[in-house]
Amino acid sequence: MKHWIRLNLIALSRTLGAMARAPLTSLLNLLVIGIAAAFPLGFYLLIASAQSVTAHLPVEPQLSVYLRTSVGTPEVEALKQKLKADPRLLNSRFVSKEEALKQMQAGLGGTDLLAGLTDNPLPDAFVLTARTDVPAEQLEALKSELSTQSAVEQVQLDSAWAHRLQQLIAAGIALLQVVVVLLAVALVLITGNAIRLQIVIRRDEIEVAKLIGATDAFIRRPFVYFAALQGILGGLLACGIVAGARSWLNPSVLALAQSYGQPFSLARPDWLLAAITLAVTTVLCLVGALIAVSRHLRQFR
Amino acid sequence: MIQFQQVTKRYPGGFDAIKQLSFEIQDGELVFLAGHSGAGKSTLLKLIAGIERPTAGSVLVNNQNLARMRRASLPYVRRHIGLIFQDHKILFDRSVYDNVRLPLDIIGFGHQEGHRRVLAALDKVGLSGKDKLNPVSLSGGEQQRLCIARAVVHRPSILLADEPTANLDRDYAQDILQLFKSFHQVGVTLVISAHDENLMADYGRRILRLKHGQFTA
Ligand SMILES: Nc1ncnc2c1ncn2[C@@H]1O[C@H](COP(=O)(O)OP(=O)(O)O)[C@@H](O)[C@H]1O
Ligand SMILES: [Mg+2]
Repeated sequence: MKHWIRLNLIALSRTLGAMARAPLTSLLNLLVIGIAAAFPLGFYLLIASAQSVTAHLPVEPQLSVYLRTSVGTPEVEALKQKLKADPRLLNSRFVSKEEALKQMQAGLGGTDLLAGLTDNPLPDAFVLTARTDVPAEQLEALKSELSTQSAVEQVQLDSAWAHRLQQLIAAGIALLQVVVVLLAVALVLITGNAIRLQIVIRRDEIEVAKLIGATDAFIRRPFVYFAALQGILGGLLACGIVAGARSWLNPSVLALAQSYGQPFSLARPDWLLAAITLAVTTVLCLVGALIAVSRHLRQFR
Repeated sequence: MIQFQQVTKRYPGGFDAIKQLSFEIQDGELVFLAGHSGAGKSTLLKLIAGIERPTAGSVLVNNQNLARMRRASLPYVRRHIGLIFQDHKILFDRSVYDNVRLPLDIIGFGHQEGHRRVLAALDKVGLSGKDKLNPVSLSGGEQQRLCIARAVVHRPSILLADEPTANLDRDYAQDILQLFKSFHQVGVTLVISAHDENLMADYGRRILRLKHGQFTA
């Protein structure tokens, strides 16, 4: 056990020695790994931020149907029944003009809006919630259908942007999966290539070491250490890049979101995510190294 | 003990560098290996070290048959052998010290003990004080000494030297042979090859003469 630890310490010092002998190459390689890993990480955080927005938004598209002031109760009842029977709607709610006024006053902090007015100017209305699986064209059809009703003054289709955002997020997640797979392959190839180059550079050392009694494990160890180190440092760099980019972008995003009245802020990479990133980059770099080592160390006897 | 039984080494391409060779070298013996260039001296030494494997016959080193040994076990055999290569195989990307340190790192020596041994080996071959230099700055003879230090630093029981006196003037070559003699005196088994027999004659040791992969009288 002590001997094994000693052999690994020797490998680590040989690895650091090799890195110190080619600091620029090691640093460039680290940058490539860090940037490559920063892409999926940043992309993931963007999607996570968008998801947190949709979480507290109604997903179902809504229609507001404002009635003419001249409409009598029987007509309202008839419309109510008709809307209840419509298969495209999830539910319908009648909002009387008194209720609408109350809501509005509450929203404005209890100001008496009727001061100076003889009458409530707001119309009676229905607030309709459509089913999520109703396509946009059918909603448009529903809207014009309702507009032709004699009792109806105006129909407003609240754009189904939350729904669209969700679909956008779903597309984003699919894209993220593609990006992750591609960059995972890239990381394996990048490390594999770096290791291959190192084997070429250190071929004399490898040859001599094998001739004087080095085991395959002894030869392999520094390269595996090198890859692990690059994976860990590259993962850290990726977290740093993403955290830096976030604090750079977040103020303008916050300002933009506020102008839409949305509490949107970019997510911050937390410790768990950082740990996962480090683990993934390390494993990928190790895979690349092991492939390169097993392919290119065969030439030595 | 080193024992060859009907050993043939055929290189890819069909050339037989060693032909049905049989001999024994006892523990602690000093044996010279003579023969012109291309006679098969390097091949014979590589067979002893398990660097080349025989096409036929058996090579026994300390009663282990290298011909049948698993590839993964060969490194452990080589650790009992010190090798001085004809082409030196010095690593010029590191210091004299680090060159000599390599065999100890392979075996897994501790830092202190390893350090002590490297300095002792450098002292033994007359290179003390030059440990921090790059090998490029050493003379030809000093580079040969560096190779010897690297071969003996882990105190092997067998030392194989492939033309260690080539390209050295006669006096310097005598110094190097004197050095080998001191290893012989502490019980190391030595096999030293040379294409020039004159130097060996003075020592009155057994000389194996190779020609076209076979012994001559
Ligand atoms: N790796 C090899 N492949 C093919 N032929 C070789 C190889 N090594 C040596 N030989 C041939 O084997 C013969 C003996 O070579 P070698 O053992 O190096 O002789 P020496 O050391 O006595 O000069 C030579 O003819 C050489 O060309
Ligand atoms: Mg030779």
